[in-house]
Amino acid sequence: MTGAGTAAVVECAGLTKRFGRTVALCDVDLVVGPGEVVGYLGPNGAGKTTTLRILMGFVRPTAGSARVLGRDAWREAARVHRDVGHLSGEPALHDRLTGREHVRATARLRGQDDLRRAMQIAGRLDLDLDRPARALSKGNRQKLAVVLAFMSDPLLLVLDEPTSGFDPLVQQEFQAMLAEHTAAGGSALLSSHVLGEVQRTADRIAVLRAGRLVAVEEMDVLRARSLHRVRASFADPVAASDFAGVLGLRDLVVTAETLTCSAPAAALDALVGRLAGHRLLDLECTEADLEETFLAFYGSEQPDAA
Amino acid sequence: MRPDLLPAEPGTSSPDSHRARVVLRGPRIGEVMWQTLRLQRRALLLWAVGLTGMVALYGSLWPSLRDQASVTELMDQLPEVVRSLLAVSDMSTPVGYVQAELLGLTGPLLVILFAVLSGSNGVAGEEDRRSLDLLLADPVSRTRVVLERMAAMVVGIAVLVAAIGLALVAAGVLAGLDLPVARVGAAMLHLGLLGSVFGALAAAVGAATGRPAVARAVPAVVAVLAYLVDGLAPLVGWLEPLRGLSPFAQYSDHVPLVNGVSVSGVSIAVGTVAALAAAAALTFRRRDVAG
Repeated sequence: MTGAGTAAVVECAGLTKRFGRTVALCDVDLVVGPGEVVGYLGPNGAGKTTTLRILMGFVRPTAGSARVLGRDAWREAARVHRDVGHLSGEPALHDRLTGREHVRATARLRGQDDLRRAMQIAGRLDLDLDRPARALSKGNRQKLAVVLAFMSDPLLLVLDEPTSGFDPLVQQEFQAMLAEHTAAGGSALLSSHVLGEVQRTADRIAVLRAGRLVAVEEMDVLRARSLHRVRASFADPVAASDFAGVLGLRDLVVTAETLTCSAPAAALDALVGRLAGHRLLDLECTEADLEETFLAFYGSEQPDAA
Repeated sequence: MRPDLLPAEPGTSSPDSHRARVVLRGPRIGEVMWQTLRLQRRALLLWAVGLTGMVALYGSLWPSLRDQASVTELMDQLPEVVRSLLAVSDMSTPVGYVQAELLGLTGPLLVILFAVLSGSNGVAGEEDRRSLDLLLADPVSRTRVVLERMAAMVVGIAVLVAAIGLALVAAGVLAGLDLPVARVGAAMLHLGLLGSVFGALAAAVGAATGRPAVARAVPAVVAVLAYLVDGLAPLVGWLEPLRGLSPFAQYSDHVPLVNGVSVSGVSIAVGTVAALAAAAALTFRRRDVAG
């Protein structure tokens, strides 16, 4: 099934891509194992899409190598694609063709006779395959692109921002599909700029900043570090010393009747304990966006925090 | 296409826990070409109808023009430059009329326009709209994508010249515009090849650059230059050696409507298309595809 006797499904070594003078990717080492889901995170423009397009053989690396199932992603792209399902960052469809026509055309291009799987996935995502693509909403276009990526049960899924435009219910169904995919031995590499989008499905997270891989972490580790913005207002005056000594708190600002800070998940319990000692008027706790977590833990001056 | 391949209801098969892996063979030969034609079929139909209508219009004018010597006189009075460019012939015969009205400028112009649009769309246009990813993510080599898309373009051109040819023959029956059927076939072959050369140039530029605007502009400029070289060579001495290079020379210098197929003209055109197809495949294989 795999090529030259390597266990890794995806194997990038020293992967570098320059567009003219712009360095899009610099020396990226990334491995995705069998049955593993790796979340590929980073702000927009960090090089996530470039990496995925190199793996699809759309873009040729300037240096380093990208191998998929033991084969060179660039030179053996057509062969690699027999085992890979791809979802583009901005999936473009043929406006006049219906979903069903897209499925049929794709099946013929892959040499796949059995379309039941595609119909089944469309059913799960509650997608009407009889409407032309131009009449579909953004979310439904995304669903159709997901159907096309999943319908051949590939060994590897390469998904660029797969759940953007999905409502929570569909996201759940998508996550269930991804879980079944890995349970059957499949692997996936999915990019996102929002941690929340991948945290339920990913086993590991690779964090990309300005073309460099700054961290590869087990999901559990990163989850503990993910920051929450906490904002509390109190009925009575409080003192800063009431909140001293809570491990991991950042940017703590206490005024007479308010508190704001950033807290990793691990610190929330202790923090809430302290808050409970006062009469609360209001409490807000939101997960900070990933960019903030990155900046806090993988600051821009730390190219090699991993 | 084949509704029998699809189950009536989505999701009727139960989700089995360990489903067998689908073994993908990749597409059959010609599949990319057929899908490309399918995407184009509406445009192709409109073009065929439009060109047929145009020929019908010329045909319907013929009976009233035939007997007017003044038209021929009028053409005789045109400046020699214009006469040379339009390859003006005796307008009082069906062959001369069709040669001047249809095959001299209008026909080539429209067929080349279609060819360039189709050729530039094949790779560059779809890349620009990003729908090329759908195709390239499948187990199809880039060489096949380029070659089959160019084949689809040639088939489209063949459909159009066939429509023109049939309309001409029909005009012969209905309006007395009598033309030798075999010679009409020869003229259409040459017209189709003329379009294919510029369409292949558009496809090659598009495959190499990924930019549809460039893929249209280059063949448009080349076509105008080639047209001028061929048309003005009889009057401008220093152009004469260049004339043979012009696809228009292979197209019409031997007047296929009178003399039939020119083997050398066909060979050069086919060779040019083949060389451009090879260049398109080689350049497209080497470059990044925009995302």
